[in-house]
Amino acid sequence: MVRQLLSTTWKDLKILFTDTGGIATLFLMPMMFIIVMSTALQGLFDTGTDTQPRRLPVVDLDRGTYAAKVIAALDSIDGIEVETTWDGETLTRERAEALVAEGDRSVVVLFPIDFSEQIEARSEGDDATATVELITDPAVSTQFIAPIQGMVFGAAERVAETGVAQARIEAGLASVLAQLPGEMRPASDQIALETDGASVVALKQVAPAEMKIEVFPDTYQQNVPGYTVLGVFFIVGTMASSILGEKREGTFRRLLVAPLPKPVLLAGKVLPYCLVNLIQVALMFGVAHLLFGMAFGNPVALATVSLALAAAATGLGVLAAALGKSETQIDGLATLLTLTMSALGGCLMPTSAMPSFLQTLSRFTPHAWAMRGFQDVLVRGYGLAGILPEAGALLGFAAVFFLIGVWRFRFD
Amino acid sequence: MSQNIVETRGLMKRYGELEAVKGLSFAIRRGEIFGFLGPNGAGKTTTISMLSCLIEPTQGTAIVAGHDVVKASSEVKRRIGLVPQELALYPTLSARDNLNYFGRIYGLRERELRPRVDEVLEMVGLAERAKAAVKTYSGGMKRRLNIAAGLLHRPEVLFLDEPTVGVDPQSRNAIFEHVERLRDEGMTILYTTHYMEEAERLCERVAIIDEGRIVTLDTPRKLIGDFGGGIIHLGVGNGMADEILPQIRSLPGVKAAARMDGKVKVEAVQAQEALIRLLELFTRTGTDITALEVLEPNLETVFLHLTGKRLRE
Repeated sequence: MVRQLLSTTWKDLKILFTDTGGIATLFLMPMMFIIVMSTALQGLFDTGTDTQPRRLPVVDLDRGTYAAKVIAALDSIDGIEVETTWDGETLTRERAEALVAEGDRSVVVLFPIDFSEQIEARSEGDDATATVELITDPAVSTQFIAPIQGMVFGAAERVAETGVAQARIEAGLASVLAQLPGEMRPASDQIALETDGASVVALKQVAPAEMKIEVFPDTYQQNVPGYTVLGVFFIVGTMASSILGEKREGTFRRLLVAPLPKPVLLAGKVLPYCLVNLIQVALMFGVAHLLFGMAFGNPVALATVSLALAAAATGLGVLAAALGKSETQIDGLATLLTLTMSALGGCLMPTSAMPSFLQTLSRFTPHAWAMRGFQDVLVRGYGLAGILPEAGALLGFAAVFFLIGVWRFRFD
Repeated sequence: MSQNIVETRGLMKRYGELEAVKGLSFAIRRGEIFGFLGPNGAGKTTTISMLSCLIEPTQGTAIVAGHDVVKASSEVKRRIGLVPQELALYPTLSARDNLNYFGRIYGLRERELRPRVDEVLEMVGLAERAKAAVKTYSGGMKRRLNIAAGLLHRPEVLFLDEPTVGVDPQSRNAIFEHVERLRDEGMTILYTTHYMEEAERLCERVAIIDEGRIVTLDTPRKLIGDFGGGIIHLGVGNGMADEILPQIRSLPGVKAAARMDGKVKVEAVQAQEALIRLLELFTRTGTDITALEVLEPNLETVFLHLTGKRLRE
């Protein structure tokens, strides 16, 4: 019995290792995943280090003492590097909004022109609040923004409270001590100060002006596009296996004898899966709308992005079918492509939180363009004109994938 | 109109170092069932693949239905039908859905598709099960549907690649009848098989193919007739005296005899008569017979004689 067991094991190992491509993807996949995911997620889970600090762009319109102190406090935090310039020029509101809109940075801290003035007014007893603006991409998830919010608010509140308290101490002491005879005057540390308990500083999250955001997106609008794009690309494995199955079972051979061009034959395989993709998108968005009340944005723009996404995903399916020579290879290749590109493309975390080389690399994935397209519609409030670059890029990916697939596909 | 519907000259297919087909030259006459008989791996399917424009020949030419398979593949494809060796069907679809699909692929319009599908289903005896999923069919039913799918567009030439593999005798007979009916309707059929009885029953002419070459080509009757009355193998060990061999050759009914690997191979003009004489001779000379095998005169023995191999090796 042991002999039979070992024989079976040996036979299966031989079969498995004969398929070198398949076995390579089996080993390559987890390795790629570890490398890509760990590098990409660095920005989300790491607080930054002295050698690889997290960059925090700051616009100082205030130019006053308090803003300068908060900026210094932020800069002194380990692993944080404050950026007040970009390409050698001092950051302005417009430049900061452009950085966020273009995805170069996911959050910028802005001190309005009256920041210090408001703190000073508060110390004189007025009911004033100093506001710090966080210019953020509404598509960036709350989990990523929250730590930055906490850090900025903490630093600003400390600086402001210290300033207000110091002014009040000085003013209070001056008036009280002036009324007492010299021998009755208390030591300064015996004086207890009462504050009104209200925060001196308020944080205000704003989106770049070009994004027509009236209400900041909810968590569903932020997360649904990522999972949708991830899910849509799962079609790659299913579709490639189906094409391989037709080759294996001989139906492809029969079809190839029919008088129709080979690209038409492959295109015929693409269309039903495109339809499946569209149903997937409709289902995912529909569920998010019905269960969580997620808003759709412009329906024409949404449909355009969905169509372009489906074309790119099925194009990748044709490419995977051309490159994979066995079921094992196709499974491995599809999983490798789907997960790696999803991670790179920002489906699992915002690309703006990734190291800059990964941000550049992400532009070579259809996922990044699809994410941007959906977020443009769902959370940035763009219409058809706004998503045309993303739709165009996705269709470009679809064409390239399909053409390489047809070129590399072994029909016989 | 040319009498030949298929003509090949020096047709060759090479895969790297391997020459799968080594310069085949043959012609198939319009309206005949032409057999390609040979063992697995002989080059039959590769030849069909070249004739049906699935793969390009490395060398040589092939004209099918008046068109070159390389230069005018679209014209060729319109005029041929292929029934591949595999069951090239969608198992989860019904027979009708399968045929509708293949019919549309071949450009049949909707108004002609339905009656043609009905006709073909009737022809292969599957009309009553037309709505059932193909995966519920028996092996024979699937084979018949496999053939039906190649007939929808009324091809001038039909390539049947081992159409009876894995089929029970009853279904095999049904397939033979369909093939004969198609021939009677004027269709030319290239029928590949490694079953000699199929080639003998169906084919007007047979090309025996082995290791990528045509070993011989003629009518089954002529091939068997030329070969003679069968082969007798006599196991004699090493104890047989050499002088017996000339005596065997001089026996009535014996055409030729040779000694090989502990046995004597006798080609007979008439196997029964030769066997009686041989037994008499061996008894008379006191030569022990350790084994006896009589191979009837058929294409199998012709193949064995020509190649030294059995068809199903």
